[in-house]
Amino acid sequence: MKAHWTLKSGAALVLATLLAGSALAQQTSYKFGMAMPLTGGQATYGNDQVKAAQWAVEEINKKGGINGKPLEMIVMDTQADPQVGIQSVNRMISVDKVAVFVTAWSGVVKAVAPIANDNKVVELSVGANSPDISQLGDYVYTTFPLADVDIRAVAGYSAKEMGKKKAAVLFINNETGLGSATVYRDTFKKAGGEVVAYEAYDQKATDFTGPLLKIRAANPDIIHLQGLVAESPQVIAQARQLGITVPITSYSGIYNQKLIEQLGAAAENVIATSLAPGVEDSPLVKDYVDRWVKEVGRAPNGLPYTQYLYDTPALVAAVFTALDKKGIAPTGENFRKEMLAIKTFDLPLTGKVTFAEDHTVNKPVYLVEVKNGKWTKKAVVGQ
Amino acid sequence: MDYLYSILILIGLFIILASSFDLVIGHCGLISIAHPIFYAIGAYVSAMLAKHNIMPIPLAMLSGGVVAFVASALVAVPALRVSGDYLLIASIGFQLGLIELAKHIHEIGGAGGLTNIPSFLIRDYGRESYVVLVLVLAGLTVLFIKWLTQGPYGRMMAAMRDDELAFSMLGRNAIWVKVSVFGIGSGIAGIAGGLYAHYFRFLEPDQFGLLQSSAVLTMVVVGGLRTAWGPVIGALVLQLMPQMITFFNLPPSVLGPLQGLIFTGLVLVFMFKRPQGLLAAPVIWTGKAPEKRGA
Repeated sequence: MKAHWTLKSGAALVLATLLAGSALAQQTSYKFGMAMPLTGGQATYGNDQVKAAQWAVEEINKKGGINGKPLEMIVMDTQADPQVGIQSVNRMISVDKVAVFVTAWSGVVKAVAPIANDNKVVELSVGANSPDISQLGDYVYTTFPLADVDIRAVAGYSAKEMGKKKAAVLFINNETGLGSATVYRDTFKKAGGEVVAYEAYDQKATDFTGPLLKIRAANPDIIHLQGLVAESPQVIAQARQLGITVPITSYSGIYNQKLIEQLGAAAENVIATSLAPGVEDSPLVKDYVDRWVKEVGRAPNGLPYTQYLYDTPALVAAVFTALDKKGIAPTGENFRKEMLAIKTFDLPLTGKVTFAEDHTVNKPVYLVEVKNGKWTKKAVVGQ
Repeated sequence: MDYLYSILILIGLFIILASSFDLVIGHCGLISIAHPIFYAIGAYVSAMLAKHNIMPIPLAMLSGGVVAFVASALVAVPALRVSGDYLLIASIGFQLGLIELAKHIHEIGGAGGLTNIPSFLIRDYGRESYVVLVLVLAGLTVLFIKWLTQGPYGRMMAAMRDDELAFSMLGRNAIWVKVSVFGIGSGIAGIAGGLYAHYFRFLEPDQFGLLQSSAVLTMVVVGGLRTAWGPVIGALVLQLMPQMITFFNLPPSVLGPLQGLIFTGLVLVFMFKRPQGLLAAPVIWTGKAPEKRGA
């Protein structure tokens, strides 16, 4: 036991001297962590999402913060890589003593889950949609509907409303891709359709002609593509080059202006989902997008995701405010209790979110389609 | 505290990885960058054995090392019969191929990764005990490799590395030396993999790809090839630097690119300014430090 203590205090001393500066500010502000990819292949999206969250934090602080105390966001890079994510999250918990942190990308969300549970710190997954995120433990919650919500909507809509009978599924071979592809296949079959091709491609692939030729040979009347934002445009371009003209559905990942810019005419007949209201649906969203255009000179990459990230600080602030009013210490344990007690949050850009018992959230799914070079609203499922 | 512990553990693990990699690439001159795949084999084997209660965790870790040892021999025996560059190609092929394969096996988590790996020591003795375990093993690895390379076996390695033809002319079996060194290095990496798995409890095939290869290679090159302490310094520098940067409170728009530039920047600087690494090894094996040679 004695050796135990010497080691502990020795380590604490090292840490304390290292980080004396950052420990001082603790009592006067409320901190939360933000672990996102700032470098690497996913950085374009990670950076825009962090920017959205930063704006939100600024807004909150302008309006008085948490009962007069500032809300502080600690940003760390994950590179969307599990090991880097583990380091970042450990740092936020141990050094910055955050009670709650926000992260995304399924691999990272899963890798850091044991840390959240062990330290009793709330992990908010915002944007990752792998279905098993709901089963990662007591301290892992998502504010973003998991894959089954929008994939089910798009599969059901294709089979019932659009009357498609033969679907092909093409997916990226990672957690999100595989999980979502399974959900699509099962839902489409249940709705009376038939899945005539079910093909995977590698995460780092740049040529997709192999699986696409197989799909062409199967002659489907609709294709569901479950990929990442990075390579999906190429997949669609190659499909169109191979003379595949049937509608291609996908999920919220590809819903952005870049897709149309990259693909031009090849983007026609592409259907995506959005889990957040669009510019046409809400004046607040319109103001938000206008701000992007004005300050950054473009629309954000992955607009709906940035909407969710913009809303997350509001949710965190609401919980902190409640804790502050009651004079309860903002520990992870108390944060979780209070968050579940409030249960439903009304957020500016994405509407209401309710934390269900099973760690999932349900949201209406907006279907959007590229028509004449523009994303146009197609339908709303499950409102 | 967890932060400090996980940094110390990663430093320890990378010391083991870099040292054992230095044994292969530095001391023995075998050109292979597939070291992380043996780390991965050890991690996955140990995780699976422990997860399904086939054996206690320490034995599972050792088994991971043994499997990595055997797997490396399987790559080395055919590849080393030809000559140098073939091992590089065969080992990269083996690395990438195995990662692809792992992504398609659902029993080991597939591309989504293996979760719920049982933890070791932490529950009964606290995280400190694991830090001690890893650091002690890292120290033992460094000492073991130092002992190995300074003894008769080391002289054999050096002779083989510096002139394989002359070595064979003396009636020595170069293939045997290569396969055994490759096996020992990979086996050590396998044990390190087991140590990783039971602390971080999540494995994903992609994390053992070429990025990790380049990280370990950078550690060895920056620290100094063929030195006992070079890989240790390399592991320390390259693990601590990215962490230290996060304490400067830089805005995310600067932090991101800066992190990305470190590795490439370091490699470039060392290539031009100090190709021998922070610590310089003797040019030809004499058993003495460079300045004493010829004296």
